[in-house]
Amino acid sequence: MDSPNLLQLLREKAEAVQVVVQEITDLAEACRYAVEVTSRQGGATIAAPGWDPATLSLLKDICQAAQIEVLTENLREQASRLHTGLTLADWGLAETGTLVHESSSEDLRLATMLSETHIAVLPLSRLQPDATALEAELNGLMHSPPRYLAFITGASRTADIERVLTLGVHGPLELHLLLLKD
Amino acid sequence: MINTAQDLPEYKKRLKRALDNKFLRNAMAAFAAAYPEGRARALTGVDFEALRVEIARGKDETLPRLEELYEAFKAKAEAAGIKVHLAKTAREANEIIAAIAAEGGAKKIVKSKSMTAEETFLNDHLEAEGLEVVETDLGEWIIQLRHEGPSHMVMPAIHLSRDQVAELFTKVTGTTQEPDIESLVKVARRELRKHFLSADMGISGANFAIAETGTLGIMTNEGNGRLVTTLPRIHVALVGLDKLVPDLASALKILKALPKNATGQVITSYVTWITGPTECKAAPSGLKDLHIVFLDNGRLALSKDPVFAEVLRCIRCGACANVCPIYSLVGGHNYGHVYIGAIGLILTYFYHGRKNDRAIVQNCLNCLACKAVCPAGINLPLLIKKVHGEVLAEEEDRPLKNRLLRRVLHNRRLFHFLLRRASLAQKPFAREGFIRHLPFFFGKEHGFRSLPAVVRTPLRDRWARVAGKVAQPRLKVALFAGCLVDFVYPEQGEALARLLQERQIQVDFPPDQSCCGLPAKCMGEMEIAREMAIQNLKALDPADYDHVLVLCASCGSHIKGTYPLLLKKEPGLGVKVQQLAEKLVDFSSFMTEVLKVKPEEFLGRKEKAAYHAPCHLCRGLKVTGPPRELLKVAGYEYVPAKNEEVCCGMGGTFSTDFPELSAELLKNKLDNVAATGAELLVTDCPGCVLQLKGGMDKRGGKIRVKHLAEAVAATRKEGSKGK
Repeated sequence: MDSPNLLQLLREKAEAVQVVVQEITDLAEACRYAVEVTSRQGGATIAAPGWDPATLSLLKDICQAAQIEVLTENLREQASRLHTGLTLADWGLAETGTLVHESSSEDLRLATMLSETHIAVLPLSRLQPDATALEAELNGLMHSPPRYLAFITGASRTADIERVLTLGVHGPLELHLLLLKD
Repeated sequence: MINTAQDLPEYKKRLKRALDNKFLRNAMAAFAAAYPEGRARALTGVDFEALRVEIARGKDETLPRLEELYEAFKAKAEAAGIKVHLAKTAREANEIIAAIAAEGGAKKIVKSKSMTAEETFLNDHLEAEGLEVVETDLGEWIIQLRHEGPSHMVMPAIHLSRDQVAELFTKVTGTTQEPDIESLVKVARRELRKHFLSADMGISGANFAIAETGTLGIMTNEGNGRLVTTLPRIHVALVGLDKLVPDLASALKILKALPKNATGQVITSYVTWITGPTECKAAPSGLKDLHIVFLDNGRLALSKDPVFAEVLRCIRCGACANVCPIYSLVGGHNYGHVYIGAIGLILTYFYHGRKNDRAIVQNCLNCLACKAVCPAGINLPLLIKKVHGEVLAEEEDRPLKNRLLRRVLHNRRLFHFLLRRASLAQKPFAREGFIRHLPFFFGKEHGFRSLPAVVRTPLRDRWARVAGKVAQPRLKVALFAGCLVDFVYPEQGEALARLLQERQIQVDFPPDQSCCGLPAKCMGEMEIAREMAIQNLKALDPADYDHVLVLCASCGSHIKGTYPLLLKKEPGLGVKVQQLAEKLVDFSSFMTEVLKVKPEEFLGRKEKAAYHAPCHLCRGLKVTGPPRELLKVAGYEYVPAKNEEVCCGMGGTFSTDFPELSAELLKNKLDNVAATGAELLVTDCPGCVLQLKGGMDKRGGKIRVKHLAEAVAATRKEGSKGK
């Protein structure tokens, strides 16, 4: 499948599990998007572990203006304060609308698990058709432990009461996917 | 706590109670209606048959090597810093985990869903040791608070209403909770978050243990599995040895099938792959204290069993319950012990003992619905009957019906003599082909359908008259009639004879044929079933015929599907049985595919006809198109009914063993047929005819019930010779 089709498939599959999908052109746009969503939702923090210094400083600047605090470490201690988690996904799987995070870092993991809203940036060069296409890479990681690899497809969900689909039982209530053209 | 009925009278009492539970009935019915649609949607574009074959092959290659895979896993995992334990028994597993907690000074444990931990009753053990254990999967938390077992492998609280959950959460939080699902879920989020952050130890199960890299794979939707494996400083995974797979590729294959088949999801929200202890800032070392406890509990022995090893292919999707007509009536608490559904009826015997299985294992229609959806290709219906046989073999007394069957069935002359005597004995009660007053030994629960009378002259005695010699036959076929066509509904055989003779086909009735043996299999009497197969093979040499015809889908599916399994080790017979299976054909396939009948050969009456697909035709023989096509060719207006392929509730002796369940399934079936506005209900198995005709008579319905052969014979143009 060529890449426009792959992108279309990813979008379809992600939206089918209530993911908000948005295309962006650079990381500054991702930062502005995260701040805007956080402000709109009345959140006071953005947990942003694992970002490069340039992006981080960009984010901090925008956050400062919006009076939002950026958290990058020791998220465990601040578990009750995490509003938005802003992360960079390692891969995307079009077939299932899935994000793959190599999240051996505890802070990265917690940002994707404990935040109310999870916003993930996926560079389109990292989009793969399915898990099988990524087998060699995943295997490589598993051969160099310790590793905590996460496939994330949509927000945390349950249907345990009367089979009614409800989002956000333990993890994020919303998942936003920002597709970065790179 | 789980308390499964240990004898039939108690079990039937509980089944009755479940049938009277309106909420449960509605919840189960809604699920039964929604599941197939969701599954089909999720499987769009997936070659399920190919995937099933691959999963089964992968598991079959792995099972004989479980110990080797375990050693490989252990070496890799230990090298990465994981502590690996092997528990021979459930108790040992619980003790190992309690010891890990004690050694690590853990007081509070959060747990994500694990059927293996349910299997070992881990919570009970840990709580008795003074530990606080909190289930964090919403459904599991609910049933933990209610002190119940799960009623479904994937949706453990499916039997409960929002009102019951609101009432429970009101008690737990001390403040009134409204029965609004979204806010109830928020309550769980709030309450459980506190536990996650304060727990010392997390316990999870796993869906995969990848030997090549020592990796655990865990699928969850709620995300609790991720928190359980991340926040506490200790993580213990309890994993059945059957979860070992050689490599990531094998795991990905299962991942492709499991969520689609379980809940109709393309994939679960989260799939977590853990290799070695990762960063954990709550641990003194800065790394997680990670333990994996592998559970044997009979699995290694089971993996070497020539018959039952197949059950270890199970990937725990729960689909066998989802499609089971009985599960959809009575729910999981009445259809299993810890493991529920078809796989539960089998696993209970091995993991939780004969006493817990002896009543529930009898509650199977043999409708093959579970087999049709199993992503690992497990022959669930057959294995249920085999477990039933094992249970019977260990019981002191076999039930009366089994003892009678053993005495009578394998002596054809005695069996047929008794059937002829029955025709005389019922004479005072029989009218219009039905027995109008049931003999005293039937209770009133059997009155949901009228029972047919045994005819005075069976088909075998009429055959010479109805099917004479054809001078220059186009084809020579044998009829395997089966008991019902022979002794109860000979008119179905006569209709066939008329149709075929006019088309220059020689049809023989090999006189030494007897019962196909399916009733014996259904009663767990495998040895008798085997003897019957041999008898019939001797009576009917497939070499003498072009085709072997059946009017009874159940006989057909048993002969084609089960005879080869029963006789594969018999010298010589294994070949004959294969030839018989290859020549066996059902009526509708014979008419449409061999004879290729045309509409011109029939009167176009355009009578509205509904169709009931016999389980053993649509799933057993996998024939679905021909009967519907034949109805149309024969000039009927075929009107599709809802749930055409769901069992009518006959299930052979099932309908006399569990009449209340049979009556409910029959009612659903006839309601669906009535809704079509059909004048005629057609099916192609005399067992279904018995059930449907009896039920229709009892409810005073106006829709006539016929075997497809009778319906087709009724619209043929007299003397039409076909081509």
